[in-house]
Amino acid sequence: MSNTLRPYLAAVRSTLTAALCLENFSSQVVERHNKPEVEARSSSEVVMNPLIISRNENEKVMIEPSVNSIRISIRIKQADEIETILCKKFTRFMMLRAENFIILRRKPIDGYSISFLITNSHTEQMYKHKLVDFIIQFMEEVDKEISEMKLSLNARARIVAESYLSQFD
Amino acid sequence: MILLDYHNVVIEETLNQPIVNLEPTVLDMTVVDFDGVAYHLSTPESKSVIKFSLIMQCYKELVQWGAQDMLQREYGPYCVPKEDGYDVTLEFDLQKLPEDKSQREELVKKLALIKRNLMAQPFERAFEQQAQFEDEKQPNPTPDLMQIHYRDQEAIYIQAQLDRVTVIFTTLFKEETDRIFGRVFLQEFVDARRRPAIQNAPQVLYSSKEPPLEIRHLPELQNTSENEDIGYVTFVLFPRHFAKGDVREKTISQIQLFRDYLHYHIKCSKAYMHSRMRARVQEFLKVLNRAKPEVPNVEKKTITGKTVIRS
Repeated sequence: MSNTLRPYLAAVRSTLTAALCLENFSSQVVERHNKPEVEARSSSEVVMNPLIISRNENEKVMIEPSVNSIRISIRIKQADEIETILCKKFTRFMMLRAENFIILRRKPIDGYSISFLITNSHTEQMYKHKLVDFIIQFMEEVDKEISEMKLSLNARARIVAESYLSQFD
Repeated sequence: MILLDYHNVVIEETLNQPIVNLEPTVLDMTVVDFDGVAYHLSTPESKSVIKFSLIMQCYKELVQWGAQDMLQREYGPYCVPKEDGYDVTLEFDLQKLPEDKSQREELVKKLALIKRNLMAQPFERAFEQQAQFEDEKQPNPTPDLMQIHYRDQEAIYIQAQLDRVTVIFTTLFKEETDRIFGRVFLQEFVDARRRPAIQNAPQVLYSSKEPPLEIRHLPELQNTSENEDIGYVTFVLFPRHFAKGDVREKTISQIQLFRDYLHYHIKCSKAYMHSRMRARVQEFLKVLNRAKPEVPNVEKKTITGKTVIRS
């Protein structure tokens, strides 16, 4: 793990742990509604200030807490065209399977690659610390996966080009 | 399987039975090949007469460069007036085929290579013209810039020059991912030659947007500069790459398959990425599922043997 990654992930972890203190909270505006306030935005006093943790301009995490839900948006590193397209493919692939990833949002927030929405019912059903673990592990591995895919693409391209051209001898 | 075959496997396998083994069969099938080439194999009148038709987008252009002569030379005895909607038709009467089995095998092999042979004509011509440049007794020819529009928006340009033959492919990627993957692959083609093992391979040049000088004057390329998706791949062939005989034949087959080879591998890497992502997402799901507390799902029974199910 590189030098800047460790404090970055540590910061995300502690922020998430602190922010994941959710309770059941019905809407103050509409009777019998119980919606994630961070999405519904029906009353501003229950939505806390969003917080951005950034490693550099390309990699950042935005955490938007509220009384009964929290939204985490991650911007994945995209250094060049290939990484951009791989990142797009990968997040799209995941978001198409959002019903399996209970906490995944089907669409990312503008400017981010992928978003999660954790509500109080999720924290009631699942261990909070494991949810945090999941987010952290996701952040760690997604970078690794994308750079590995890029490497394998380059390696494949090289082999393909070589084996084509070596036939001309 | 890294390399692609030059011949059409389906044609070969289908025709093996009737032509090599002389077993009459009823046939009516359409077989496709790369670059929108399609074959129609049929036995319209009797089981022992096979009709073999081919349709090809660039056939008219190929005729200009001598495809007709090649057909006469290689498949001459079998040529018949062409079937409706097709460009070439050959007919095989099983009773009149050569006696020798190996000759018949060769015939099937040759049929499976018909597309390659048709496409080879402009290459042959360019190589001949280049040979004229080398030969000091003959006057220098004015080499043709041969254009083969083998797909809707893609073409091959072949031109002989003083000491070389250049083959230019225009490539067009329809999709964003293909375009980016394609660029990675083509860049490797350009760089691959630096490796000592393949120093002898033809030089490959790649440029996007700007057409190479040889074809810049063509009217059809004048207003393509806005289109970012088009790339130009140039192969520079020196006389050693088309020395008469096997080397020449192999080079022609190779070069023709360039686009198919490139696209095949782009598709392969996309499929590989997909399977990787699938595995990775599965793993993420496992991690997430660890967050759910396990429900102790032990079947409990009362003393009488009835099962108690906890809700």
